[in-house]
Amino acid sequence: MRARLPDRTGVVDRDGVRVAYEVFEHNGPTLLLIPPSAITHGRVWKGIVGTLARHFRMLITDGLGTGGSDRPLDPRRHAPAEVNADLCALLDAEGVDVAVVVAHCHAVPWALRLAADHPERVLGVVAISPEIEVAREHDHWNPKLAPPGWDLHNKSLWRTEGGYRKWIEFFFDQQLPEPHSTKQYEDGVGWALDTAAEAKIAGDAGLGEPTADEAEQLCATLRCPMLVIHGSVDLCQPVARGIRLAELTDADLVILDGSGHLPHARDPVKVIRLITGFVHRITGEPMTTTTWTRGRSRAKRALYLSSPIGLGHARRDVAVAKELKTLHPELEIDWLAQDPVTRVLEAEGERIHPASRWLASESAHIAAESTGHDLHCFQALRRMDEILVANFMVFQEVVEEGCYDLTVGDEAWDVDYYWHENPELKRGQNVWLTDFVGFLPMPDGGDHEAYLTTDYNAEMIEHIDRFPWIRDRAIFVGSGQDVVPDTFGGQLPAIRDWTNEHFAYSGYITGFTPPDPEEIPAIRERLGYREDEMVCVVAVGGSGVGRALIDKVVAAYPLAKKAMPELRMIVVTGPRIDPATFPERAGLEVRGYVDRLYEHLSVCDLAVVQGGLTTTMELAAAKRPFLYFPLGHHFEQNFHVRHRLERYRAGTCMDYATGDPDDIAARITELAGKPVDYRDVETEGAERAAHLIAELL
Amino acid sequence: MRACQPTVEGVVERDGVAVRFERYGEGEPAILLLPTWTLVHARHWKMQIAYLARHFSALCFDGPGNGGSYTSTEPAAYSDVAYARNAVAVLDAAEVDKAVLVGLSCAASWGLRLRAEHPGRVLGAVFIAPAVPLMPRLPERRVQRFDAVFDDPVDWEKYNAHHWKTDYPDFVRFLMGRIFTEPHSTKQIEDATGWALETDGETLVASDLGLLGFDERTTRKLAARGTCPVLVIHGSDDAVRGHGEGAALAELTGGELVTIAGGGHFPHTRDPVRVNMLIKQFADGVAR
Repeated sequence: MRARLPDRTGVVDRDGVRVAYEVFEHNGPTLLLIPPSAITHGRVWKGIVGTLARHFRMLITDGLGTGGSDRPLDPRRHAPAEVNADLCALLDAEGVDVAVVVAHCHAVPWALRLAADHPERVLGVVAISPEIEVAREHDHWNPKLAPPGWDLHNKSLWRTEGGYRKWIEFFFDQQLPEPHSTKQYEDGVGWALDTAAEAKIAGDAGLGEPTADEAEQLCATLRCPMLVIHGSVDLCQPVARGIRLAELTDADLVILDGSGHLPHARDPVKVIRLITGFVHRITGEPMTTTTWTRGRSRAKRALYLSSPIGLGHARRDVAVAKELKTLHPELEIDWLAQDPVTRVLEAEGERIHPASRWLASESAHIAAESTGHDLHCFQALRRMDEILVANFMVFQEVVEEGCYDLTVGDEAWDVDYYWHENPELKRGQNVWLTDFVGFLPMPDGGDHEAYLTTDYNAEMIEHIDRFPWIRDRAIFVGSGQDVVPDTFGGQLPAIRDWTNEHFAYSGYITGFTPPDPEEIPAIRERLGYREDEMVCVVAVGGSGVGRALIDKVVAAYPLAKKAMPELRMIVVTGPRIDPATFPERAGLEVRGYVDRLYEHLSVCDLAVVQGGLTTTMELAAAKRPFLYFPLGHHFEQNFHVRHRLERYRAGTCMDYATGDPDDIAARITELAGKPVDYRDVETEGAERAAHLIAELL
Repeated sequence: MRACQPTVEGVVERDGVAVRFERYGEGEPAILLLPTWTLVHARHWKMQIAYLARHFSALCFDGPGNGGSYTSTEPAAYSDVAYARNAVAVLDAAEVDKAVLVGLSCAASWGLRLRAEHPGRVLGAVFIAPAVPLMPRLPERRVQRFDAVFDDPVDWEKYNAHHWKTDYPDFVRFLMGRIFTEPHSTKQIEDATGWALETDGETLVASDLGLLGFDERTTRKLAARGTCPVLVIHGSDDAVRGHGEGAALAELTGGELVTIAGGGHFPHTRDPVRVNMLIKQFADGVAR
């Protein structure tokens, strides 16, 4: 899912050729973002748009030949004057008098021409990795001098089957010299291949880039303020071009040392801050009525972030926060949180930071990534990249303004990742909490998935080696034995050894105390469960992903009921699945929502659940028999959670793909009401975690 | 040692009196650091000058009665009109066309006058802990009677002409305790006490009388006439001029208000980093 959808989309039509664009409405100054079509389109800005749209009005064009725009094959339609006319038509259509123009690569000359021809309309220009003839190009653009690979830049080749893809794959590899750029690479290749080679060939043929003399003349006519951003290891456009362009235009120059050609994709946080700073400088940063509290007058404050993927984090984090407040009664805790975590926090009377409303939804993304009984959570996390950067920027603004002493992030991937990527932005003490360490590949993902998980693990390990001061404390929710016995992949260390060195262990945090055996009859009576019936609770969590599992279990119900007449099945669908869509059967009750579901789970005779950690560990703590079905392709449920449950000797792991209703019915009748020999689940976890955190205050 | 030395030290003669000024740095825009009440002189900007001079240029001058400018025991020499004329003379002498004004406490009076009467020369105005007659006096100051004769004045009774003339150091000691409500302000108190003792009670009485003409009506009239942007910075714990005065001035001028929670009457000396950054942000905004 995107971090934020445009408020509107539009099309300008000049003589039957249409250019598509998106609009993000805001009261602030207008930014016009021009991608270098036809190699890419407006989505190339995905890492920076969500945040900039909170501060400015945004117009994002796709450019001819790509995205939602037409793909004219006449090179004359791609000529600079035509592009200029398209951009003006767009500004006219949107009633924009003046805009700050942001352009990348060969879109920079377009932006400069717009500023030169219409100085009254362009407040300023941000030129990223400019392709402009003010300094010599890399030798590899010269067919005679090109090193291997660059000879794929060849129209004839592009017109052959698969030829254009070869070039694009090579080219984007060159554009991203930064290690660990797999996602940006996949994105770039995907967008480039959205269009056909012919459109790109036409675009190139019509490009009409200014010659060296023309470029210098163009620069000499510019009057507006400019910012040039250029990576020092840009293999597409030499940094000398950015430097020279800045000299010629008296622009601010920011060289990103170690960056390649796509800094807006690879270092979005830095680029967002540069663009924001530039626009504020030329349009005036709004002063706002505010309060700054003197250091000595400040109460101790913590900002708590709880992952919204599943409700389990919310409950354990509330438990930790309560313990923390008993250790530091003066501590004020704000929560930067989103639905469904906020529901738990509101019920607990916790203070939710108002900026929470700006967060892009992670749980909606996860729901959108799920199909049937399947959620490839590693890829889902990778594809959540633009949501993570948008949410990180909200977080960063909150910590810079809120003067927090402490940040606690329970699997707050955005904070952990982007503070390591932009370590100078860190504020206060920082605690990282997680219940698993290490991305693990699913076997059917083959070598490529193993390569990707290894790359992600390597990046995390490098982050922590290089900047050990970003995580002031890392807490593993569990014990050392709960860490999987695998390695991080490739030549990387064993996960358990590395975790022992870099984490403290809190023990498991349940967030609730399971009932004593003698309390169970009274609770069952209160919940309406008789002694002489076998109560099987089927629960699938809050997202829509559970339908497939429920269907299978409901299909198994008649078979199980036949074998076990005292069976009563309570199916809890969660808010996103309509209970009315299931068949009616005697002894089968389908409910949308059950208050305090954990109470039902803790006194049932058998539970059927997915493989999520929180629910399964609640059942383990309550010593209930249960069947759990890890979601397909969900490495955490299939490896990490399963490993932990096996250590507790808890539950029976089932395979959704191969388990048919007969198997399920047989397992239900076999296990319902049977005693278990689970290992005790610790009950001091929240207290221990709070002590580990409190030492930092 | 000072953090930086002036680029220009000059004296400008205005209607027969000599005003001493300093210019630091060469950048644009100029930040004109206005003199405040005669209690202290231009050195009270010592925590701002080096920083502002690096980003802009800083211009400061002494008012009458304390520091290197002229002195007088005539109240008329201390009117807001006189201060405003001095400021314009300094801008002319330093060849500064337009400046951002920054004024502390009762400098709000001449700041508002400059903003209203010289719109072409003022880009924006920052009022720190402004003393403007827009609110009732702070409750603890209601005991003060300027012209009364107290045998043994306590607290704000010490804000009194007779006391200043007879035991000026005692008044200074008292007032410093009210200016610096923040704990651990010993250095700031020593500095300001030293500057205060460079003048005397007699002069301070004249200067106080000179301010009397700046009443609520004048304040409202001048605030309404000015158009350039305003930033008000006011400590929540200001025990000399209540935070409500700053809030009222911000509202009256359509300006922004930044509250320093826990701050007293001299936030620019006690929280110089925050105040410097606020001035810079404001100046960047109005000078673009």
